Amino acid sequence: MRAFVRVSAVVAVLAFGGLQSAAMAGEALTTNQPADTLSFVDLSAMKEVATVKIGGKPAGIALSPDKTKAYITSPDSKELVEVDAVSRAVTRRVTLGGGPLGIAAHPKLPEIYVADWYSHKILVINAKTLAVVCAISVGQSPSGLAVTPDGRLLLSADRDSDAVSIVDIARRERIASVPTGKRPFGITIDNNGERAYTANVKSNDVTVIDIASRSVLGSVPTGRRPYAVALANGLGFSTDQYGGSITVFDLAKLVPTETIKACDHPEGIEADPSGHDVYVACWGDNVLLRLDPRTLKVTGKADVGDGPRAFGKFLR
Amino acid sequence: MLKRLAIAAAILGSFPIMAWAHGPSRQKVTESVEINAPADKVWAVVGNFQDLSWVPAVAKTEGTGDNKPASGSNNDGAKRTITLKSGGVIEEMLDEYDAKEMTYSYEITKVDVKVLPVNDYSSHITVTANGADKSTLEWKGAFYRGFMNNDPPPELNDEASKKAVTDLYKSTLEAVKAKIEGGK
Repeated sequence: MRAFVRVSAVVAVLAFGGLQSAAMAGEALTTNQPADTLSFVDLSAMKEVATVKIGGKPAGIALSPDKTKAYITSPDSKELVEVDAVSRAVTRRVTLGGGPLGIAAHPKLPEIYVADWYSHKILVINAKTLAVVCAISVGQSPSGLAVTPDGRLLLSADRDSDAVSIVDIARRERIASVPTGKRPFGITIDNNGERAYTANVKSNDVTVIDIASRSVLGSVPTGRRPYAVALANGLGFSTDQYGGSITVFDLAKLVPTETIKACDHPEGIEADPSGHDVYVACWGDNVLLRLDPRTLKVTGKADVGDGPRAFGKFLR
Repeated sequence: MLKRLAIAAAILGSFPIMAWAHGPSRQKVTESVEINAPADKVWAVVGNFQDLSWVPAVAKTEGTGDNKPASGSNNDGAKRTITLKSGGVIEEMLDEYDAKEMTYSYEITKVDVKVLPVNDYSSHITVTANGADKSTLEWKGAFYRGFMNNDPPPELNDEASKKAVTDLYKSTLEAVKAKIEGGK
């Protein structure tokens, strides 16, 4: 708690000192699935500044630790596509087969993880060579992936097992499985690496997991068909696809506090590293929304390509 | 063991809504029609979730819950069972309803892919006024194809699902326009 107060004070100093841009994301990269493209959105202007052709109906996205490269899954062509985020060009692509969708990058190592929902495995990929190093067995149809900030654990939302797998990255094996609500899809780990939050599309709730004890702390009801979760300002935000809304919930009490009317099929969602803003990809409306996690108002909107998914980490 | 799996797969295959899994990518269809009538007149025809008589393919609508949408984690919203003229049956649930904005959204909770080759289908109906005596009726759908695994048969692939929904929307919107403008 004391540490939290100190962090808040630092954030406040940064914010009022006009230095917040140092900790804020500059761009959002949305995978536009029907359009087959990647949109680059300048977040200070909330304007799309570039579009890159990806192909294969891109959906999942992860960024390298230095955020100069984006790794994208294209489920229709069963590919992993690497994009240089600085020059905004596709640099390499490799066919993985199966059903690649969920993707995450290691926070320090040149290593990428791709969930294959058909083989029920997570592929470990060397980011330097794009070669598959090994495949780790998890539950049925792994979907969202997330890595703890210390780089020790990889968590997968095993959609058809109604559970989360906890994988020891060094040992390359699953060390635990924690039950969730029905059909967990997106998964988000907090900045301290303490908790994981899954969006459960069939039971319309978020499961909160204590990673160290591998146990469920609780669940929070959401709107209909939640897709993914973001965390900012002591609050959780779930994108409710069928509700067209964002459910806001209190991370301490684990109760919903507000429903924000958002857009048609809100999907990918991520908080700026500074916690200043939350960004939401709206699949139905072809826009990226910016939310203020304090006022809970939509503060900006940028047009992107057709059908943005942005499933994963898409802010750089 | 293999045989048992094959039987299980065959059983699951005949109940696609149970074998819940994503196809590779969600499809999107949006169709609209301009109608020479005020928005409230169009809303009066299409705005009741319990009355789908404006869709020519529909023989009968039976439901509960009026126009009350589902809330939060509860599946307590308005429901309807649609019997098609072809004999097929579709079950649906209301997700959002806003009479003031003249819009609502709903989802299919049960359908055979032989009736409509889609999975995880959700939809929006919106009426927008274009001045005092013209309006636009928009029908928007989001869904996965009928076959939820890799390498689908042609009748259940992305194109087939998109064509089925597009044809339904186009023919229905033209029929609504003709009905309202014809004063019927």
